[in-house]
Amino acid sequence: MTSGPIRRHRAEAAVAALIFIAGLLGGACSWAQEPAAGWSLEKLMRDLSQVRSSKARFVERKYLKVLNAPLELRGTLTYSAPGRLEKRTHSPRPETLTLDGDKLTIENPARRESRSLRLQDYPVLRAFVESIRSTLSGDIQALERFYRVDLEGGPAQWRLYLVPRDKEMRTVISLIRIGGSRDRVDLIEVHEANGDRSVMRVYGEDR
Amino acid sequence: MWLALVAACIFVIARTQFSTDLAAFLPRSPTPAQQMLVDELRDGVVSRLTLVGIEGAPQDRLAAVSRGLAARLEHDARFAHVANGAQDRLRVDGEFLLRNRYLLSGAVAPERFSVTGLRAALERQLDLLGSPASMLVGPLLPRDPTGEFLRLLEQLREEGGPDKRGDVWFSRDGSRALLLAQTRAPGFDLDAQEQAHAAIRTAFEQAVHEQRADSARLLVSGPGVFAVRSRAGIKQDALRFSLIATVLVSAGLLIAYRSVRVLALTLVPVASGVLAGIAAVSLGFGSVHGVTLGFGATLIGEAVDYAIYLFTNTAPGSPPQAALKRIWPTLRLGVLTSVLGCAAMLFSGFPGLAQLGLFSIAGLVTAAAVTRWVLPELVPRGYSVRAVGTLAPVLLRLIARGRALRVPLIGIVLVLAVWLTLQGATPWNDDLSGLSPVSASDQRMDEALRSDLGAPDVRQLVVVTGDSEQAALETAERVGVVLAGLQSAGVLAGYDSPAHYLPSVAAQRARQRAIPDAEKLRRDLAKAAEGLPFRAGVFTPFVEEAQAAKRQPALVRADLQGTALALKLEALLVQRRAQWFAMLPLRGVTDTVALEQQIERFGPQGVVLLDLKRESDALYQGYLARVLQFALFGAAAIVLLLAAALRSLRRSWEVLAPLTAAVIVTVAILIAGGDRLNIFHVVALLLVIGVGSNYTLFFERRNMANAIPERTVTSLLLCNLSTVIGFGVIGFASTPVLSAIGSTVAIGAFLSLVFAAILTGRSETKEKS
Repeated sequence: MTSGPIRRHRAEAAVAALIFIAGLLGGACSWAQEPAAGWSLEKLMRDLSQVRSSKARFVERKYLKVLNAPLELRGTLTYSAPGRLEKRTHSPRPETLTLDGDKLTIENPARRESRSLRLQDYPVLRAFVESIRSTLSGDIQALERFYRVDLEGGPAQWRLYLVPRDKEMRTVISLIRIGGSRDRVDLIEVHEANGDRSVMRVYGEDR
Repeated sequence: MWLALVAACIFVIARTQFSTDLAAFLPRSPTPAQQMLVDELRDGVVSRLTLVGIEGAPQDRLAAVSRGLAARLEHDARFAHVANGAQDRLRVDGEFLLRNRYLLSGAVAPERFSVTGLRAALERQLDLLGSPASMLVGPLLPRDPTGEFLRLLEQLREEGGPDKRGDVWFSRDGSRALLLAQTRAPGFDLDAQEQAHAAIRTAFEQAVHEQRADSARLLVSGPGVFAVRSRAGIKQDALRFSLIATVLVSAGLLIAYRSVRVLALTLVPVASGVLAGIAAVSLGFGSVHGVTLGFGATLIGEAVDYAIYLFTNTAPGSPPQAALKRIWPTLRLGVLTSVLGCAAMLFSGFPGLAQLGLFSIAGLVTAAAVTRWVLPELVPRGYSVRAVGTLAPVLLRLIARGRALRVPLIGIVLVLAVWLTLQGATPWNDDLSGLSPVSASDQRMDEALRSDLGAPDVRQLVVVTGDSEQAALETAERVGVVLAGLQSAGVLAGYDSPAHYLPSVAAQRARQRAIPDAEKLRRDLAKAAEGLPFRAGVFTPFVEEAQAAKRQPALVRADLQGTALALKLEALLVQRRAQWFAMLPLRGVTDTVALEQQIERFGPQGVVLLDLKRESDALYQGYLARVLQFALFGAAAIVLLLAAALRSLRRSWEVLAPLTAAVIVTVAILIAGGDRLNIFHVVALLLVIGVGSNYTLFFERRNMANAIPERTVTSLLLCNLSTVIGFGVIGFASTPVLSAIGSTVAIGAFLSLVFAAILTGRSETKEKS
């Protein structure tokens, strides 16, 4: 007596509404500087794509308008090519986020909760997740599908500026900045359209 | 008088309505739950759903055509709802949920707004802010710190659903864009359905033209599409195949008769019978079902026999009245036998079958009466069938030789009878869909589209009955509490309820009462937020909106207008005959026993657990069992009639043995050929007995002794040829109902004649030759 697509539709619509509301604030900004001569986005992405797996510690600070102090999260990041990414937060509360293909799983052991989402149902989340995953896997096509990409700096210290192509997406995220040195990522900065921002530093990468 | 009768029939037929609603073939008085199932099949939301697939072009073209098609259909008043995955079109739902979250959310209760409840909610929000979901929840936090909106989204979320390419639904392999359209007209309103499908086709062609995707193909499926298609199919099949059959039979008879006039006369009883049949059904039932009409075409097979017997038995130089005098007693018994077989259907209690029964009885009686009282006057003086001279000796010789086959035949029949007994219930089609007039290829396409769309196969649901909308909703809410408990206990994976979309007024009032006044809420919120890093005053919008919700009028059905929630509600909460039904579909039930125990407690409140598959199987099996039972009654009545008329066990046996053998061997052939038997096969077997009994009666010794054997055997051969040709042709129809009847009768009639010749024809051929 029921039909899944219709109901599923509603959830998406509601998420779209959320995004819409979020987008009532904010706009987009643009950044660009020429990269060093003899080095290019293609070369950087090729180097990154050579990395088969990596593991690192991270410290993430979230500066949110609703909070009077930044939120600080610590944990580990594990990546294995081409599409699997795990973000394991240890403090302040344990939580594990696993990205595998199109499936995003969020586990909260304290609440004994585990839920999975299909990224295709949450376009903004998907675009956000792809910014990190496509950079790690050196997938320039996937990256450019979602973002206008600008590169700054040189091999020893580079910065990628990602501005969402999709208007709807820009109402949530205005800019993502990913920084690194050679084939290592050491900074992921997300600027939200409403002024919130998060800065994640990645340390002590071991292969 | 006959002419007046024909004119009256035509008058009645001209005003007759024809229907193809398959529900006519469903029982009239099933259990209330089954009745609801049948009603849902007829005009529920499911019956209004049209599944659309677009394929045969590059992906981006398909997506563009899907968008173009959706945009056009959305503005078409014939459609209540169109969905193809593009989400911006349903943004209104999100806003509705957000605006009414405190009335809609089942979590709104006094504890939710206590200091502890608020503290837990705030801690949870803090967790979410640490995850990437912060992008989504962050902006809403000041308005909704208790997360009611997210909770509502969660409730509406369901696993599965179609894949997407871009923002449009696609099949998993990306070769087919998908779209769902729900018509406003119910599924049984075939004219409206036909118009809606024409609208889809036109919109598709426009979209294809606009997008220059000329290679794109349109696939449409769904109950309404099937109904329209099968109406057209049955009409077309019945017409086309009865025309072919008529031409072939006529050609054969023309060769035998060598007289166009006599040929035309042969068709007089048939035509009169068909007219009388349609008129009788129209008068008795108010409308004539398409299947009845299709079946009527097949009546040619039996009614044509009557005239053949008369003409072929008319000896040269003697008037047809003389022949009639000889054959009428036998013919009359044959007609009575057939009528008894059909009477079983008449009293079966199923409108569709009763129509078939009435149709056949009226048709056969009329055809026989016309043969007896009208036809002899019309036959040319001195007419006699010439073919008798050439055919008869050959036939009589064959019959004499057939005797040798008697023992082997009995052996084979016994073996087959044992084999059939061993088959048990397997050869029976135990699925309601076996009755469906939908062709197998259409069914396959439907399955493919459904699996692409990931439409969950709802098997179990709880049905709540109430005297009013509010009563049904309130009971549904009480059942929902139990189901939620069972869900956390792992008994089921999830459930849906109309109360999720429109809570009862009582529940909404209770939720409003659960919201504290502004001052208390502000104070408790401050206490709950102590030690947490939330900025002071950030939750002011929450306090204001909660207060507004406290005063807002309760939501009613009309408030949902324009949202997709309204459609959901319409599907789950229906009114039928002054009763309200709320349906709560269940997902992933792992422990049916525990579930049944819990739901049984609600029994006195009009709550039942419905297993759709089990229910529809039970419905069908009950149906099949009753049809079989009536068929057996019919068979028993035929045996009694023959015994009474022939006044001899031996003679009855001689008539019945070939029929029994023919039925057994026919069923064996059908099963060996891979057919699964359904109700229409049973009906066809009744017809075999009707037609076959004529053959065996004529073959039977006493009748043969009174007749002219040469003429009798020739008439039997002609009758049989016309029956086999007529029904054999219909056996090739693409409508399953017609092909089942056609092939069964063709095989059965042929075997009846051969077996009658072998088993019954023995003694007199010996005597006479």
